[in-house]
Amino acid sequence: MDIKILQGIISLIIILILAPLFAGLVNKQKAILTGRVGAPILQPYYELIKLIKKETINASSSSFISRVSPIINLTSLIIAAAILPVGFWKPLISFNGDIILFAYILGLARFFQILAAMDIGSSFEGMGASREATFALFAEPIFFFTIGSISFLSGYTSIYDIYHSIQLTNISYEVFIVICSISVFMLAVTECSRMPIDDPNTHLELTMIHEVMILDNSGIDLFLYQYSSYIKLFIYAILEISFFYPFSQQSYILGIIIFITGSLALSFTLGVVETITSRYKMKNIPQYLLFATAIGILNLLIYTFTK
Amino acid sequence: MENVLSILFCLSLFYVAVTWRVKAYVTVLRFQGLILAVLLMIPFIYHFSIFGIILPFTLLLVKVFLIPRYINKIILDLDVKRRIEPTIQQMFFLLLVIVSMIIIFLVSNIISQKTPLDVIPFASGFSAIIVGIYIIMFRKKLIIHVCGFLILENGIFLFSSAVASEFPMMIEIGILLDVFVVVFLMGIALNKISSTFEGFEVTHLGRLKD
Repeated sequence: MDIKILQGIISLIIILILAPLFAGLVNKQKAILTGRVGAPILQPYYELIKLIKKETINASSSSFISRVSPIINLTSLIIAAAILPVGFWKPLISFNGDIILFAYILGLARFFQILAAMDIGSSFEGMGASREATFALFAEPIFFFTIGSISFLSGYTSIYDIYHSIQLTNISYEVFIVICSISVFMLAVTECSRMPIDDPNTHLELTMIHEVMILDNSGIDLFLYQYSSYIKLFIYAILEISFFYPFSQQSYILGIIIFITGSLALSFTLGVVETITSRYKMKNIPQYLLFATAIGILNLLIYTFTK
Repeated sequence: MENVLSILFCLSLFYVAVTWRVKAYVTVLRFQGLILAVLLMIPFIYHFSIFGIILPFTLLLVKVFLIPRYINKIILDLDVKRRIEPTIQQMFFLLLVIVSMIIIFLVSNIISQKTPLDVIPFASGFSAIIVGIYIIMFRKKLIIHVCGFLILENGIFLFSSAVASEFPMMIEIGILLDVFVVVFLMGIALNKISSTFEGFEVTHLGRLKD
């Protein structure tokens, strides 16, 4: 087998295995910062194992969409994970224009989740689906302005090529790192339903966005949804860490070090942000997302006018 | 380096456009003052001179410590309500800022083809001027108007540093003194207004007759 493909498979497996660990790390840090002991770091794994043992019960009003949606969700997330590079290894899927695939494969996952939430017929879940759709609408431009500007900078449209071609002598890249990290962080917070947008710990249906959509799922279905949400968080974390990959053009080892320290730093940042902020009012969230879009537009402006 | 700092300056402008809290305006003023001071100090890393370092330190003292502390004192003394009162929706305000910033970047790019200037500091300064004016236009509280004026002034500072690399130092220090006195006078005026009217909104001043 080609060594490149092997590396791709290994990095995909790394992402799939480490994803719950990252979520556990964030939760642990959040607990420590708020003065609690908190669940062990491996708690997400335990929860997944617990879920996989349980029986799956579907609502009587649900159709086949509720049954296929969790699988489609996880599959799309795994495909998206296969596009992202870990360290300096070539990812499994890499071709010109894969940033578009990346955005819309996540869009597909979200679409099916929304559909499944409406399929069950509970009014709460319909509400959650409506919110998810609204905020996803505002989140999309953030991704395209940010990643689009970085792809303009490098001249490539594949995530792997982008970070391989960027020369650190290019001064505007330093500016890019500062701005892109802020806007991608806001994007990650939105897409993964973390604190300022949505409280992952709340169990009041009226205030939830993501959690309310999976209220009626159980057993394997819930396992698939939970696991894909962990993967989603980790994917966005890697997307943010990849801005720092060009610093490691010399060696693989440096790339791996950047990957590990980046994940730790990001989990710490997420923990701090979730500790010091409270959830925004629903009507203020579009404004928050527009703010992130504004940062993305600023990014594009800088690129356009400093060439 | 100048570019990074100017972009951070732009980010602070976005933040000003979305925040609801009066205190955040003061924090942003501090932040911008710090950025300007660092911006002025950069040339002295390479060739140090005691005389040249006076201006950055004066700037640091006035913009980061004196003025924000004074504004905070006014807010505390006069018990200003902690929420700003915009006349238009925050969302539209942000959109307005984005559109203006795009136009400004376009215009400064055109200008830079004729005359030599750094596009990003120039455009950031220009944007700060416009955003300062917007803040004065679309906010009701008088204390926010003072902050808007100071943001405008910061913009002029950045703008001038992009156009002419060095103003005579005495002029810069003179400008700083001016700004400080203006803020001081505004504070006194606010005090006087507060003894006549409840609250500190421009709408009250519309009822004044001679």
